[in-house]
Amino acid sequence: MPDYLFVGKSIPRTIEADKVTGKAVYINDLRRPGMLYGKILYSTHAHARIKRIDASKARRLQGVRAVLTGRDIPDVRVGFLKDQTVLKKDVVRQFRDEVAAVAAITPEIAEEALSLIEVEYEPLPAVFDPIEAMKEGAPLVHETDARGRPVKSNILPLPWKFSVGDMEQARKEAAFVTKDHVSTTWVNQCCMGTSGCVAEFDQSNNLTLYSPTNVIFGHIGRISEYFSRIGLAGKKIRVVNPVVGGSFGTKLDTDIYEFIAIQLALNTRKPVKILFDREEEFRALPPRQPAVFTIEQGCDREGRLVFRHCEAVLDNGAYTSWGATTPSVMIMPMSSLYRVPNVYFKATCVYTNNIYAQAMRGYGNPQATFAVETSMDSLAEAAGIDPAEFRLINRNQPGDETPMNLKITSCGLEECIRAVKERLQWDEKKKARQKTRGLGMASLIHVAGGARVTKSDGHGIMVKLDEFGHVDVIESGTDQGQGSPTVISQIVAEALGVRPEDVFITFGDTALALWDAGTHASRHTFMAGNAALIACAKAKRQILDMAVDIIPKIVKLNFKRMKRKDPGFAEPDLDYGLIADPEDLDIRDRMIFPKKEPDHPYFRVPISDILRNGLHVGIGESRVVAAEAFYDPPTEMLNREMKGNLSMTYAFGTTGVEVEVDEETGDVRILNLVAAHDVGKAMNPTLLLGQIYGAGYTGVGYGLTEEIKVRNGRVMNPSFRDYQMLTAMDVVPIEPVIVEPDDKDGPYGAKGVGEPGLVPTAPAIANAVYDAIGVRIRDLPITPEKILTALKQKKGGMNV
Amino acid sequence: MIDYDYKRPDSLEEVFRLLQEYGPRAGLIAGGTDVMVKIRNTKKAPEVLISLRGLTDLAYIRKNGHYHIGGLTTHRMLEQSELLQNELPALYEGASRIGSVQVRNVATLAGNICNAAPSADTAGPLLALDARVTLQGPDGERRVPITEFFTGAYRTVRKQTEVLTEINIPAHMEQFGSAYWKQSRRKAMNLPIVGIAVSLRLDNDTISDSRIALTVAAPTPIRAYKAEEFLAGKPMEDAVLAEAGRIAASPECCTLRDSLRGEAWYRARIIEVYVPRMARLAAERIKKTH
Ligand SMILES: Cc1cc2nc3c(=O)[nH]c(=O)nc-3n(C[C@H](O)[C@H](O)[C@H](O)COP(=O)(O)OP(=O)(O)OC[C@H]3O[C@@H](n4cnc5c(N)ncnc54)[C@H](O)[C@@H]3O)c2cc1C
Repeated sequence: MPDYLFVGKSIPRTIEADKVTGKAVYINDLRRPGMLYGKILYSTHAHARIKRIDASKARRLQGVRAVLTGRDIPDVRVGFLKDQTVLKKDVVRQFRDEVAAVAAITPEIAEEALSLIEVEYEPLPAVFDPIEAMKEGAPLVHETDARGRPVKSNILPLPWKFSVGDMEQARKEAAFVTKDHVSTTWVNQCCMGTSGCVAEFDQSNNLTLYSPTNVIFGHIGRISEYFSRIGLAGKKIRVVNPVVGGSFGTKLDTDIYEFIAIQLALNTRKPVKILFDREEEFRALPPRQPAVFTIEQGCDREGRLVFRHCEAVLDNGAYTSWGATTPSVMIMPMSSLYRVPNVYFKATCVYTNNIYAQAMRGYGNPQATFAVETSMDSLAEAAGIDPAEFRLINRNQPGDETPMNLKITSCGLEECIRAVKERLQWDEKKKARQKTRGLGMASLIHVAGGARVTKSDGHGIMVKLDEFGHVDVIESGTDQGQGSPTVISQIVAEALGVRPEDVFITFGDTALALWDAGTHASRHTFMAGNAALIACAKAKRQILDMAVDIIPKIVKLNFKRMKRKDPGFAEPDLDYGLIADPEDLDIRDRMIFPKKEPDHPYFRVPISDILRNGLHVGIGESRVVAAEAFYDPPTEMLNREMKGNLSMTYAFGTTGVEVEVDEETGDVRILNLVAAHDVGKAMNPTLLLGQIYGAGYTGVGYGLTEEIKVRNGRVMNPSFRDYQMLTAMDVVPIEPVIVEPDDKDGPYGAKGVGEPGLVPTAPAIANAVYDAIGVRIRDLPITPEKILTALKQKKGGMNV
Repeated sequence: MIDYDYKRPDSLEEVFRLLQEYGPRAGLIAGGTDVMVKIRNTKKAPEVLISLRGLTDLAYIRKNGHYHIGGLTTHRMLEQSELLQNELPALYEGASRIGSVQVRNVATLAGNICNAAPSADTAGPLLALDARVTLQGPDGERRVPITEFFTGAYRTVRKQTEVLTEINIPAHMEQFGSAYWKQSRRKAMNLPIVGIAVSLRLDNDTISDSRIALTVAAPTPIRAYKAEEFLAGKPMEDAVLAEAGRIAASPECCTLRDSLRGEAWYRARIIEVYVPRMARLAAERIKKTH
């Protein structure tokens, strides 16, 4: 093991001191001179024709600077499938439809103005169930497509299909087959910081958007496309992140409120801020995509998987954002979690008049893994094999190429499964069963070395040093609170030979940064880390080149001084060959030294001496140190068959839980939760555990309590009072196990870890509940009501 | 804009004077954890909020014969009171499960019952402990049994000009054991799906006297009288307690409804299960203290 000074150490988070002392400038705190406050009026119907909007009273209210309706702004379509406009003019298709917007000198006046806008609706028939919406004769959510051509069905023109092998033959070969129906619901990302932005134009209509997005360059792309249709083609767009209080997927797309802020700013010629309150966060942000699955799997007599066949229907809601592309990620666990030769997966996204969905941590993987892993459990039982053993038989292994063409390099899945078994005392407890207690496990695969979902999956970085040895890093990614400022400074410090506290990182500013595909897909440490390594190697070489020239000068100057002080001083006879070639030098902990003699009494020099002496020289000789790198790994985009090695490496992990179920009340208590993760290399163990705990608890919430209750299209529980996200008092004991197979492509061996912890938690709980009381709940969340109902059915009682 | 005036008098007399001066345009505020939420949600506020937080000598928990809890006592004080924990555990449990420490630090017992939510966590325990409420107005003082205090969802017998100055629990409750169960999905920051408070007294192994109180089981917090009558004189046995649970959960005692937080059948089930469980716990606690 190399002897790292900072990598692998639990260096405390760097910028969090500003957050806890209130110094960090979140979007809430950001104020620009003359800034106005924008508010949005939402639809009061799930589906209706707008007969009349009268905003005249709102316009007359003192302090109001603009009131916009769909009639006041260009009728331009936006969104992933261009299926909506910024303000809805004729028809509303969901309760969160934006029908008008106000800019005023205070948020209160803006709010009051909203209440003065009169909108008359004519209700239209609506459809809320995706299965119903697929049927002929169902009310159409959209009557035309983006180009105005009439459509006949609510099914999206996004056919997700994956098929490998011979399903018919495989079915014949399978000795055991199970088929299950599985469903998952909407959950909210629950960022601590609510959404918001400030849009500001200069006199020439160049835009600066202060936005919490985690895809700053994607934002520019979408906004510039919009600009080209509203007569602002070619204008400069700069996206700047404030300090961001979490994103978890919410900030992947350019949201409608951002376009509204832009329109209000354009209209008023003033900076305009829109800031969501918590209720809007629940009602008007796109949550995790709900899905229903019919999954069938078969294995042979030895327990080897023979096939997996799954059809999914996704409730798309009224419009299309990234939620509709989650099937592209679902294909990964469907085809590649465990070895399975024959795979069929089809996902249909269907428009309904419900709220539409977006990305959330795991991006479709939690839903799909819930289906795969609960089905794995049924199949193990049908085959008479212990569920842990069944998973070991089918585990992925290093060197595998999966049906989706994923090339598995490092893979610690076996270790993860075994660790979970051991920590939970799986075999012992399965033998000595305690009534109403049970064990369950589930595993995961996820991208962990980038994800080529756009043509470039690159990350650009710039590194420069000042004469004091401080390092500025201009990152093209974003910091939404995941700890990157700390981890990237550890990597830079290690690679350059300085200390983490010498490294200052600027995130999230398109005017400064090179380019990045986005801080998503658990890719940031891997991509920015690799880019940093390249840039740091270049910068280091520049420093060492300077050192070769400067160290002898410093040494000789020193001798001169000493001689002046002490005429009897005899200059020692030094071997300048030790420092003649930059290759012979190294830097560590702020000091430059010859590799052959690191403690050399004269040739060991502080890095800042070199930088200063290199800069303050004279015309033609002064030098600065700066380097840039753009790391774009040799991965593949998915082809038409949805195959391709889209990531440099993949994360694996297994979660095991022990539960106790109260059969009288249906309450589930988690006694133990072991989360074993193959992370490549733990760059910062404390931060890593933060990711594992955080994702694990979100997984527990997904499994047991969290659910946006949508009734006839309306969000019924838009607050933390009724949305049952777990609190600090509900933490369950999570025992992490870190498996470190050192990934050959990862920076210092690291793989991505942001999303994985969430993925296997809910199915592990479901499997443990089954083990405890013999009923399978395949519909998330696993509520006491569902357990009681299932128990009643099992006992042959009537349905409640 | 939601605008209101805020007054913070130092004496009850001053409170009464302000209440009379402003009449229906004034509202009382103690911890504000219901008042402020309501103002925010409805975007409406009384013209003047009269704070009771200047009446610092109304924050107390005392026992001299009866138990006396002042009208400005916070849930945190109740939660940290050993007297309560040992002798009136149902109330201790009710208070200590409200919201979070931050909420309990400011929210008051009086506020909880004056707000009169059907889900108020201390209402069940107070019903099970025969509490009496002292209301003081400009014309003097009256005492109302808690069983007569609630008149509907968010409605009480308290007059506009009256201040709840004390909650009083009779000395005989010393001989009872009590327990409160709050059924909720989370351990903090949650309203009960249903709440069950039981107090009882044993004579050898027969139940000589009991109170069963339920919250979120009717428009107001209620007593399950029929279930109590059934228990009277019966032995502490599983079958007996189970039947009491069934009676408590039945329309004879409550009017359960489906709501976002829980369906009626599920609430009934929890009442059926927890009336016996709380009765057992209450019985154990008698043995412990005597
Ligand atoms: C985050 C949060 C979590 C909560 N969790 C719970 C919970 O778990 N369980 C629960 O039951 N409640 C809960 N609540 C509600 C609230 O905290 C309680 O009802 C609390 O006891 C109210 O007390 P207060 O002093 O804040 O009342 P205030 O809001 O000040 O007043 C409430 C009402 O009582 C009146 N009032 C107050 N004091 C007096 C008095 N002495 N005389 C006459 N009238 C008076 C006021 O005029 C007002 O109508 C929660 C509230 C919040 C904000």
